[in-house]
Order: sequence, then C-alpha cells, then structure tokens
Amino acid sequence: MTEVKKAAKKISPSAARTITPRKIRIAALLSVMGPGVIAGLSDDDPAGITTYSVLGAKYGYQMLWVLVISTIALILFQDLGARIGVVTRQGLIGLVRQKYGARSGVLSAVVLILANIGTMTAEFAGIAAAGQLYGYSKYVTVPAAALIVSFLVLKGSFSRVEKVFFVLSAVFFAYVIAGFLAHPDWGQAFHGMVVPSMPFTKDAVFIATATLGTTLAPWGLAFIQSYAVDKRLTRDDLKLLRVDVWTGSLLTGVIGFFVIVTCAATLNKQHITIVDASDAAAALKPLAGTLAKDLFAIGLVGAALLAASILPLSTAYSVSDLTGRPAALDDGPKEAPLFYGTFAAITVLSALLILIPGAPLITILVVSQILNAALLLPLLVYMYGISKDKRLMGEYSATKTMLWIYRVIIAIVFVCVGCMLWFTVH
Amino acid sequence: MKRPPVPVPGINNVAKRIVGRRDSVLARKNIRDSLVSVAGLIGRPVRDIEGKDIGRLVDVVVRHGEETYPPVSGLIVKVGQRKSFINGARISILTKDEIRLSTTKINLEDYQRREGESLLDGDVIDHQIVDVDGLRVVRSSDLYLAPFDKEIRVVGVDISFVSFLRRIFPGAIRRRPTPEHVVDWASVASLADGHGVVRTSNSRAALSQLRPADLADLIEDLAGREQGALIELLDPELAADVLEEMEEEELQGLIRGLTSERSAELLSRMEPDESAEVLRDLDEEHRESILQVMDAVVAKQLRELVAFDETLAGGIMTTHILIVKEVDTVAHALKLLVDNRERDISDGVVVVDARGRLVDHIQVVELVAAKAGDLLSSLIGPPYPTSINLDTPLDEVVEEFSNNRGSSVIVVDAKNKPVGRILADDLVDALASQVDRRKFSQGSGGLS
Repeated sequence: MTEVKKAAKKISPSAARTITPRKIRIAALLSVMGPGVIAGLSDDDPAGITTYSVLGAKYGYQMLWVLVISTIALILFQDLGARIGVVTRQGLIGLVRQKYGARSGVLSAVVLILANIGTMTAEFAGIAAAGQLYGYSKYVTVPAAALIVSFLVLKGSFSRVEKVFFVLSAVFFAYVIAGFLAHPDWGQAFHGMVVPSMPFTKDAVFIATATLGTTLAPWGLAFIQSYAVDKRLTRDDLKLLRVDVWTGSLLTGVIGFFVIVTCAATLNKQHITIVDASDAAAALKPLAGTLAKDLFAIGLVGAALLAASILPLSTAYSVSDLTGRPAALDDGPKEAPLFYGTFAAITVLSALLILIPGAPLITILVVSQILNAALLLPLLVYMYGISKDKRLMGEYSATKTMLWIYRVIIAIVFVCVGCMLWFTVH
Repeated sequence: MKRPPVPVPGINNVAKRIVGRRDSVLARKNIRDSLVSVAGLIGRPVRDIEGKDIGRLVDVVVRHGEETYPPVSGLIVKVGQRKSFINGARISILTKDEIRLSTTKINLEDYQRREGESLLDGDVIDHQIVDVDGLRVVRSSDLYLAPFDKEIRVVGVDISFVSFLRRIFPGAIRRRPTPEHVVDWASVASLADGHGVVRTSNSRAALSQLRPADLADLIEDLAGREQGALIELLDPELAADVLEEMEEEELQGLIRGLTSERSAELLSRMEPDESAEVLRDLDEEHRESILQVMDAVVAKQLRELVAFDETLAGGIMTTHILIVKEVDTVAHALKLLVDNRERDISDGVVVVDARGRLVDHIQVVELVAAKAGDLLSSLIGPPYPTSINLDTPLDEVVEEFSNNRGSSVIVVDAKNKPVGRILADDLVDALASQVDRRKFSQGSGGLS
C-alpha cells in the first residue's frame, strides 16, 4: 500500500490541502453576492434611499448619529441571525414556535408578513415614483413590475437576472461621489455622527424611527437566517458568512451616510423639502447634472426589483417554516399552500395598496419603514431570547456583554416606537 | 435540489405499516373518546382531593422505556411562584376538564430532569418529529393522552396545521381535541429531549422500518440537533447506509455536526471511496481528529484515498479489493470472500503474480465451480479484466466502461499492482457530483 501512497503524492502534491472544493464554492458564493451584501443593497431600496434623503434634507447633518446606531444594530443582529441559522439549522419563525409556543410562532409570522407587505408596498412605490419621473402611470408600471418579478421568481429564472438588478441597484454608489462633489461640511457631519441631538418634534421622531426601521429591516433578519439554513451552511462556513454580513451591513451604512450627507449639502442648504421623487433626485445634480433624474430612476428601479424579488420569496420561506420544515420553489402549491399563500398575499396586497388612487408615494415610503420599526420589536426580543438559550445555541450562545448590547439596542427601538406612538396620540 | 416529497414506499414497508395500523390503540373506540389534549391542559388549574386549587399545570413529564406508549410519570405544577414536581402516582383524575390529585399534601420539590424522561410541552410539542407513515418531517402540533394499560399514556400525536392554529385561541377551543388528525404515537419518531436525544425504543422501531434512501430524505429536512439525534437512534450499520444515500452537501453538514468518535464509527462503515469524499472536504484539523479515533488500518486506507484528486481514477475508486496470489488455493480465495462478506463488495478476487502484478479477476461463480484444492493459476484465462492507471482522468474511465460494457474496472499503480476498483456506481456518483457542481453556480432554487 505504500506504493499507493507514493502514487498519490505524485498525482496530488498538496495532499494535505485545507482549501477544499466545497470551501471554494461557498467562498465564491459568499464573496461577490453573499446574502449579507444582497440584504445590504436591498436595504438601500427605494424606502431606504427616500428615508435617508428626507432625514438629510430636513435635518442636515444633525441626525447622522441615528444612522450610526442603526448600522451598529444592523451589523450585530444580522450577525446574530447568521449565527442562529448556522447553529440551529432552523428558520427564525420555526425556532420561535419551538421555543415560545403556538401564539408566539403565529405572532412572529404575522409580524413578518405585515412588515413585508409594508416594505413591498414601498418597493412598488419606488417603481411608481421612478415611472412618474418619466410620466408613466403607476397603473401600468406597478402591475407590470409585480408580474415580472413573480414570473421571474416562480419560474426559477431569478438567479439569471439577479445580477442585472444587483448592478442596477449599485447605481446608488453614485451618492458616494455625489457626496464629495457637493462639498459637504465634514466637520459638521462628524459632529452629527457622534453627538446625539435632535429636535423633539413629531417629524423628527418619525424620521428617526423610520431610519431605524429601514436599516434594520425585519425581512433582512429572517432572510439571513433562512439563507444559512437553505444553503446548508455549516459552522465551518460561519467565518465567511460573517465577513459577508459585516460587509453588507457596513455597505448599507456607508451608502446611507452619503445619501444623508449629499442631501444635507444640497437640499437642506437650499431649503428644499422632499415631496416627490424628483426632489430627492435633485440631490444628485452636482454629480450628474441633467442626468440626475435618470441616475436616480435607474437606481430606484434596480433596488426595488432586487428587493421585490427576494422579499416575498424569503418571507414565504420563513413563514412556511411554521409547519415543520421550510418549503421552497421545488414544492408545488398543493404541498406548500402556506408558502405560495404568503408569496401571493405579499405581492398582491402591496401592489393593490399602491394602486389606490391618490396614494402619496413619499409618505408611503417613509410610513412603511416606521411600521417596520414597530414590528421589529417582537422579532428582536425573540432573537435575543434564542441567542442566550444554551440548549439551542451551545457554545455559540451570546456572552453577557453581548446580551447587554442587544438589550440596549432593543431599548432604543422601544423608546423610538414609544415616542412615536405618544406623538401620534397627542 | 430536493427529491419528490413522498417517495413510493417499498412493498415491505407497506406490509409493515398495515400491521402497525391494526395494532394501533387509536383504533379502539374507548381510547379515541377519552383523548386529552396536552396543549389544552397546560395552564389549567390543578386541584387537590378536596377540589381546592393548588396551582397551574406547567408541563407533563413522561418516562420513555421499552413500552411503545410512554406513561405519564409526573406533572410540573406552578404553585405560587415555584415550579414543583408532582409524582404521577398522586394523580387521581386527568381529563380535559379536570386535573385532580389523590392527596391534599404536596411536598414542594423542584423538578430534576432524569434520564429517559421528557417534558411533553417543553421538549416535544412544536419540535420537529418524523412522521414515519407519511415519510416527512413535521412539527408536532399537539399530543394526546389516554388511559391505557393501567396508566395514562401518550397515545397519539397531532401533526396537523389546523390543530396548531387551534392553540392560539383562548379557552375551550384550545382544549378541544381534533382527533381526525391524530397519528398513532407508534408511527412517529420524536427526536428531542433535554439531553438532546430520546432514546426510545419506539422511535428506534419506527425509524428502522424505513429504507435508507427515505431516511436520507428525512434527515435533510431536519434541523441540526435533530439530525444528530436521528443518526444516534439508528443502528450504526443502517446509519452508514443512510449516509451513503445523502447528498454530498448535506452529508458534509451532518458530519460537521457529529462528534469525531461518531463520525469515525460511521465513516469506517461506509464505502471507503464515499468516506474519502466526505473527508476530503473537511478541514485538515477536523479530518485528522476523525481519522485518529478510527481503526488504524481503515484510517490508513482512507488517508491514502483522501490524497487522490477526485477527477482521477484514484479519487473515485474503492480500495475494497481482495488480492490473492496465483499459487493460493480456491479454498483460500473462498474463505477470504466469506470473511469479508460484511463489506458486500466481493463478487470475486483479484489474482496477482509473485511480484504483486495484476494477472486476472476471478468471479465467485468460477471459484464455486472449481475444486477447493485447485490452485488459482488453473482458473486464469480470458476474459481478462480491464485495468486502468491511478491517474486516468474521469472521462477516460467513462470511455473504458462504455468500451468494455463491464460493471467494474481494476485500478493499478505504475508497476501494474492492483490498488482498487471502480464499480459502475462509483462512476455514477463521480459524474453526478460533477453535474451538481455545474448546477451549483446557478443557485439551487431555494432562496435567491
């Protein structure tokens, strides 16, 4: 048998290689368009860009710290979601049902569906807004987008066009350049990032809450966990997944930062308030001049389609996990009614909401994100509970310090939502 | 890349299941009429013999043993702020409307989890279980108790989504059994308890009815901890068969979740080429930790296989070959075959000359037909086996197969010494994993 050994050495000199084919595949999968980066770019969807634009246009640099906190929260909770998915190999909703029982399971599923109908409505609002920049009616653009997205996803050809949407949405990187060209006051920007201050008004609280809700979106948390389960990522892959998640989350923060800074340096200076998409697009004028509108529209459509393709699918996947195992596109509608039901409910209801005559697009975009923040609370609390469960998480359970940080984040979201409710009532 | 959810069961399975159903206690009318929903009981008041409330029910404890239907061994009751254990012997009435004890005195003792016990609400309801009849993984929506064979036992499990939804409602709706969806406890395998595994004879028996391919499908649908639990329940020989049926990616994930000792035990029972494929994709550190606790001979063989490139003959061959010399007798060859029958790869022996070079492959039929005392050299003759080199690329191996229409080729080293064999199924596996790889870049149809 020593002959075999020698022969083996001859054929494959690096007999003790540690980089395996599987690892290369996982690395390739995660490096360019990993779930973290997809979620990150989808967070900069029409709702995200609009919310950040409104924040920058109205309050200048003052409330940049809200984005900083939101981004830290995003990084930590996306990281937690990835960890839960890899370690337990269960989706968030299924795990909540297992740990907290029937009512919590149903509650978390309902929360996820509501939040995602809201966000999906925002995606369609983005499509409608982009269409209106060119004079196309929303009654044409929104149903068309809904049909295209459903067709692509259900026919399984989404993976082929995914890259196109991805590139289109990357147009929002233009804000980074636009940010520099607009000559912002960097000193003030830095001050706004580290010194928390805000006018205690209804509008300010609302936009702060929306910023939290759009950055740390409920669907992203469920998505990252489902992805790890669906792609059978293992503990060995966790390092790569975390790199991806951190990259994606930071990307969200960086783009968000430049959107706010750009709008602060342009719109806020000129005292323009955003009432429709063309106002928001005006922030890109220092960079693109007359092309600002086109650039903004392309980014809006790309990001909207990217998010609209992933959102209903990942929600359907998560919700169907209530029954015991997540369903996927390989199952037919009869085997997986909950999967297809959720998918249809999200797509159809959100498209219909946008089609209500006279629906104010910018308001819908921002309000959907406030809803996100409110619905985020139960999910964050459940994730916190799972993170410290030693039976589920074993050696990956959260440390005491981490638990304190999670508590602080949850408290911040709670205070925001509480203040918002207080203002709504009074 | 999921297979169809409900594979056609084998004839044997069907026969066994029909027997199983006839034995089912759920078929008895008196039992169906007295079912008590466990989910409905949780939170209900617990009364003493005089009818005074002493607390609220938190959980029901059952004892797993050799019996198919585990008996209730006690209740966990919240008395004031404290959770106390009440021994099952003290229960006088346990129906959907009333929980009554046979005593007024209760000593408040904290519940200590004991080996072989599980909490029905905490460990079983809402956890994944395997529905052996339906060949699928589900979450149990509810469990049903009934008095049977002198004790109150778990007799059925509710796996329907309707029953799950019933539980979110308050009061009477929540407590009403919906027994049209109840599956006999004997035909499910529960995989969870506080220690990770319920080693119940019931789950074991239910699972051992299944074919390895069906079990492999089920494992792929389970969560991490439950996967490990299911593998633990199976007898190692069956477990190894199941692992061979699993998809490569799945198998990787599963092995990563098991202890090195268990992995070593299972991998050494699998076909060496398949084990090598799994080991090849592990971290070196992890791979070594498994190989180190393995039988030294098997480990050595696997180390050699792991080193081969999986697109060459050496990387797909199995090293299970029986080598005999020309000067050995037929009786010796037959004995070797019988000794290695466990490996079930022996359709013949490979004959080598005095210097260890390949001469012929002799089929079992030829050996049986010959006299025990004959020398093997007397059986040598055409047709001679096809042989290829260790570094023959996969596509040439395929070509050899299609040219020769044989079911196997022998792999030899540079000196023409036989080192392994490639069977048709090894080739299919190798080709399938290449196809998988090409598909991989296009996504697997699940999430994005």
